[in-house]
Amino acid sequence: MTPSTSSTFAAPIVMVEDSDEDFDTLCEVAAAAGITRAIHRAASGGDCLAMLRGEGRGDAGGHLPLLPALILMDLNSHGIDGREALVAMKADARLKEIPVVVLTTSANPKDVAFCYLAGANAYHVKLVRHDQYVLLLRSLLHYWLDSVTLHAAMTKVD
Amino acid sequence: MLENLTKDLQGATAAAPGSSHTNLSHSYSTKRDGLNITNCDSEPVRTPGCIQAHGALLVLRACDLSILQASENTQAILGHEPRELLGHSVAIVVNDEGATRLRSILATEPTDRNPIYAFTLPANGQLAALDVTLHTIDGAAMAEFEPSGRSQPTPRHDPNYYSFIKKSVARLQAADTVHGFCQALAEEVRLLSGLDRVMVYKFHADHHGEVFAESRRSDLDPWLGLHYPAEDIPKPARDMFTKTWIRPVPDIQGELAEMTPLVNPDTGKPVDMTFCALRGVSVMYTEYLHNMGVSAGLTMALRRDNDLWGLIACHHYSGPHHVPYELRAACEFLAQVASLQHRAVEDRENAAYRLRLEEVNQQLLSVAAQTGGLASMTDGEPSLLGAMHASGAALFHRDRWWLVGQTPTAMQLEALGAWLVARLEAGPVVSSVYATHALAADYPAGAAFADVASGVLAVHLSRSGQNLMMWFRPEVQKTVNWGGNPHDKPQVTGPHGPRLTPRRSFELFSESVQLQSTPWLEVEIDAVARLRALIMELVIVRAERLAGLNADLARSNEELDAFAYVASHDLKEPLRGIYKYAQQMMEAPPANEDDKRKLDGLMRLTLRMDSLLDSLLHFSRVGREELTLENVDMNDVLADAMEMVGSRTDDGRTQIVAPRTLPGALCDRVRVREVLVNLLSNAIKYNDKVSKRVEVGYVGAQEASLRSAFPAAAEGQTVYYVRDNGIGIASRYFDQVFKMFKRLHGREDFGGGTGAGLTIVRKLVERHRGQVWLESTVGEGSTVFFTLGKADDT
Repeated sequence: MTPSTSSTFAAPIVMVEDSDEDFDTLCEVAAAAGITRAIHRAASGGDCLAMLRGEGRGDAGGHLPLLPALILMDLNSHGIDGREALVAMKADARLKEIPVVVLTTSANPKDVAFCYLAGANAYHVKLVRHDQYVLLLRSLLHYWLDSVTLHAAMTKVD
Repeated sequence: MLENLTKDLQGATAAAPGSSHTNLSHSYSTKRDGLNITNCDSEPVRTPGCIQAHGALLVLRACDLSILQASENTQAILGHEPRELLGHSVAIVVNDEGATRLRSILATEPTDRNPIYAFTLPANGQLAALDVTLHTIDGAAMAEFEPSGRSQPTPRHDPNYYSFIKKSVARLQAADTVHGFCQALAEEVRLLSGLDRVMVYKFHADHHGEVFAESRRSDLDPWLGLHYPAEDIPKPARDMFTKTWIRPVPDIQGELAEMTPLVNPDTGKPVDMTFCALRGVSVMYTEYLHNMGVSAGLTMALRRDNDLWGLIACHHYSGPHHVPYELRAACEFLAQVASLQHRAVEDRENAAYRLRLEEVNQQLLSVAAQTGGLASMTDGEPSLLGAMHASGAALFHRDRWWLVGQTPTAMQLEALGAWLVARLEAGPVVSSVYATHALAADYPAGAAFADVASGVLAVHLSRSGQNLMMWFRPEVQKTVNWGGNPHDKPQVTGPHGPRLTPRRSFELFSESVQLQSTPWLEVEIDAVARLRALIMELVIVRAERLAGLNADLARSNEELDAFAYVASHDLKEPLRGIYKYAQQMMEAPPANEDDKRKLDGLMRLTLRMDSLLDSLLHFSRVGREELTLENVDMNDVLADAMEMVGSRTDDGRTQIVAPRTLPGALCDRVRVREVLVNLLSNAIKYNDKVSKRVEVGYVGAQEASLRSAFPAAAEGQTVYYVRDNGIGIASRYFDQVFKMFKRLHGREDFGGGTGAGLTIVRKLVERHRGQVWLESTVGEGSTVFFTLGKADDT
């Protein structure tokens, strides 16, 4: 999978997602919002970790030149799933400051509780109503990329 | 002579006070002193100093056969006055030939305390033929002379007693119950002896007696089943029957003949007549029998091992009846054979009873295993009374008493049960069985229900709690079959007062057995312990099966969990894709209205499926998640719930009221709030009235008048309710509304919904071990009731 659009100088977005439709929707929303950063896709939690640690495997697309500005994390995937990847990242000093926004179909309170305890920065339930889902994605991209103030170490490269 | 004796008797009676007791031990004579005995237990029955006057007794010095003592009636029987005999050789009576024969018997036969027939002295002028028997005791030789049976054979009987006895023994061996055995014994003894009434008289543990079997002349009243107090056969008399086998009294009104002299001149002691057939009879005993109309008697011992089990008591009513030596020996032999066989018959009967008890135990168990409870043991067939000889049984199981037959009341059982548990647990030895035939002696409060439960046999079914199983027997007074009620018999009061009349016997008996039942047999106690073991085994097997089922259930719950996850995630994802494409197609204007309508339908169905999946997911979570129980103020919960449904009550048409402050409950606050939110939402949603009214209230555990229509499971619990004036539910749907996704109305009517609300309510209530049910009238409104389990009693 290759990023749809890219700006080599901006920190990219990583989306852990096994659904093509959802990845397409994100790219569409980002394009419509004028976001030019690269959007990398990881098909599983395991791929995402490999990508962040420069251990490029299989279709994960090699290592990233820059650490991502935002990770959108689906919880359920094959292999190492989103939960495990989240726990691993938050335990990794180099990766722990990257904002991780959970984006999943699960509304199970247990999942919600687990993710926040593991250090997720936000938790959103994917909506079936496409129009509303698009609004949700637009506002969260705006919030995490433009509105929120992140730690200096993360922003200086941008 | 008769006149002389009567005069002597009267003289003795008159002289009695003060004189006779002074040197009783050396010169006692029943004839002179017998009427002054006030306590039968002190009567010197072994040394009465007298014999029955129908025969004669000579006490001989064993070494030279010289006569030391003679009964005073020797003139009538032997043709010599005692003074003509004393100091002479016995040859004076039996001739040299007889003396030689006696000497030979002493030398060769086992005569010690064992009377042996010597010969028959032929009739001589006025004197009748006499059977001579001989035995030795304490160095003295006792020669008894009785009218012979040989000279007057009874044509009714086969003189060949051997063949008769052989037939009798075969009949006894065939008996398979102690009762049948004793009945056969009574019949055989009567056939053999020709006496009017033969009874097998059984001693109970307290020595009181019971007529256990009887054979009688057909015109006589039956005495079978009558009980008599221990005093009727006093201890000295019972002791005699552990030494001798037979006791003939051929003439109840016969005279007594005193020994001359009264003590043995060689030893200075009264002669021990224990083994004399002629031994003098207690005056009180003959008076007792005479009062019952008895004219002659014959009594034999019935022993089990070395104990006296009972007597074979024979009565004759039609005048004196002499049973000659040979026939007596045959009767004695029969009594000995019966004593030897008795134990075997009892073992056989016990074995049969044991088998029957075990068989019923097994049936009880198999029914209990099928029905999954012990209640079948009182309701079913067979019940706990199936084989056990008891009149009632009770079982404490699943928090209540199950009863069958005659039992104390539940309240009495409650107290008795608590006492029993404490007793079984406090005992020095860990015991699970308690048996008594006199409950009131251990447990005084038991006197109140002695009529149904003087006897109690109880087992404890568990190490803790009141799980008891009990059997009851009534007070024995009520169980005695008074066959021929002694009160109906003609009463004869003897010359010495009413003490020895049968009526007095009856009264004594009823006093001595108050508050007692017949005792429990070892077989019964064993069977009960065995039943307990079987039940424990069943409980363990069931517990194991239950554990297995629980494991299966846990596994299937996990599978449901996994399924719910599939529903929430894997099914939802494609749904979202479908919706996305449908919407994107709508963004490019559809070619025509028909396409637009189809795309609209696609999107609407997708959303509906999404909400169904959400409900399913929620429902599966409700069943799995742990409850957090705490003491909750239900008024707070109601306030929260009202706030959550607030937006739906803002229409100005809806009013939610709580007429009384709600009592608190031990429950999970969040879950109960969800129950109320669901019920309030339904109450508002399914309501077409202009003014919607919802009432939230409760019915207290004690408000019996309001609870008549409530299910039994709600007993003792606070019942909460939510009542509306909505559209109502037809009664045929009362069960269905609680089913998953069951909707009674069109999908879009009343604001739509998935139909999971009441299913979730029921699940939440059941998680609290509570119940939910409803009452409703179509068009007028519904009331949904629910409880939150037993914890809300406070």
